Amino acid sequence: MEPTIIRLPPRWTDASVLEDTLRRGPSPLSTLTSEVQFHIPKKCSLMTDAAVRLLSLLNQLDYSTRRVVVEFEASKDGVLPYLERIGFFQSLSPGVTVRPQRPSGFTAVRYRGSNPGVIEIQRIYRNQRDDSLPKRLTSAITRACEKRPDVKELEGAAWTILAELIDNVFSHSETRLDGFAALQVYPKGNCLKVAVSDSGLGMLETLRPALQSEAPKLAALRDVELIVEVFRQGLSRHGIGRGCGLKGCADKAVKFGASLDIRLPEARVLLLPGNQGYTPNRAFCYSGLPLIWGTHISFTFHLD
Amino acid sequence: MKSMNQIPSVDLRLREFMDEDEGWGRDAGRITCQRLISFVERHPGVLIFRVTLTGVRRVDISFASETVVELARKHRGQKGFCFIDLVDVDQRENWEAAALRARQPIMSWGVNGKPAFLGVEPSQGSVDALMFALRKTEARAAEYAATDRSMSITNASTKFKQLWEQGFLLRREAAAESGGREYVYILIR
Repeated sequence: MEPTIIRLPPRWTDASVLEDTLRRGPSPLSTLTSEVQFHIPKKCSLMTDAAVRLLSLLNQLDYSTRRVVVEFEASKDGVLPYLERIGFFQSLSPGVTVRPQRPSGFTAVRYRGSNPGVIEIQRIYRNQRDDSLPKRLTSAITRACEKRPDVKELEGAAWTILAELIDNVFSHSETRLDGFAALQVYPKGNCLKVAVSDSGLGMLETLRPALQSEAPKLAALRDVELIVEVFRQGLSRHGIGRGCGLKGCADKAVKFGASLDIRLPEARVLLLPGNQGYTPNRAFCYSGLPLIWGTHISFTFHLD
Repeated sequence: MKSMNQIPSVDLRLREFMDEDEGWGRDAGRITCQRLISFVERHPGVLIFRVTLTGVRRVDISFASETVVELARKHRGQKGFCFIDLVDVDQRENWEAAALRARQPIMSWGVNGKPAFLGVEPSQGSVDALMFALRKTEARAAEYAATDRSMSITNASTKFKQLWEQGFLLRREAAAESGGREYVYILIR
């Protein structure tokens, strides 16, 4: 059987560009293909939200016993050194083949914590909570944005968002693989990206059964509509009075004009903030996407 | 334990029930809540728990939801929980979001003695009764009815009862001046 080949574009690649690329080809997790190859050209600059999402997908493919190859176009200053720097290969399943060769991970260890604008990919261990993880990630944000007049408020909001999202990995995902969190400041792009990714069941898979009995009208909504309501109303499989975490995240993110990208196994919603917060008429919805297990959420804060 | 006009109250230092100075996540919140429940059960005669956040650096909404808000919801009408030093804006937002979601009002007393309600607001019809109660430590329906000739004691009593049921006030039974029994409504302070 021919391998499935996915070619990333030679340009800045955020989560949206990654998704566009994946949509153009067959779904590697859904097809019977036994080998999946990712080709990454030297001018492909993977942004942190795309890198974390791709990392989860690669690990899921390897977990599903497919042969996985990631081939980088040879370059001294391309995406490969960057991914090595942020610890991508330390988090990548050992079964994934990296060409021309898998970096040792030495660079990530050597430079760990030395650049305030970047924080290495942090593994969210599914069996053991790292209590200081939100604090470490938030400290990086604070260092990177220390010149902002509202850095104190941003720090508090970012901590809450990270704590809630990371807790969701433990509380809701029933994940089979470790999750990941990462952030990076892009001064030229005037933005900060925060991404949290897990490989569990996906938010709606755990929510829908509870809604069938508690709120049948909501249960009847399509996936993309239901995601919007999760962030607008706060919904939880644990019943009324719960589910305020993600809504609270959204409320805080809106204050800083952050856009919000939520990827579920086969659907995605991009929420843009408006005067009324995140509303359905400012949501870009995509369904029928190539399968990626879990929930992958990224916030993009503008820095001005 | 201290007593304010015979209303037994005690300060509850939340940090002493937490593992870290930052509280996040539902599971951590539930563990803390169990410790808080034990504390409450060790003070059976206490009506009001005055929560101090000294030493608590941050809490997220899930943790807030599972701890003080859950405790207040669980004991609604029987015991009261209020904040006495909630000044951090971010923490305030998170306690507010958790209280709102649980539809559980929690009073927050400022350093200047000014009150604020976190969570749901009283209904339009009972705001005035709550304002009356806020001016006193204890309030009786007969006293409130006496402030407005058009209001019956029954009507005043209904408003107070609603506020009690919704978690804005506590109450206890006492002897009325008429010789019967009446409810005395208590501010959570």
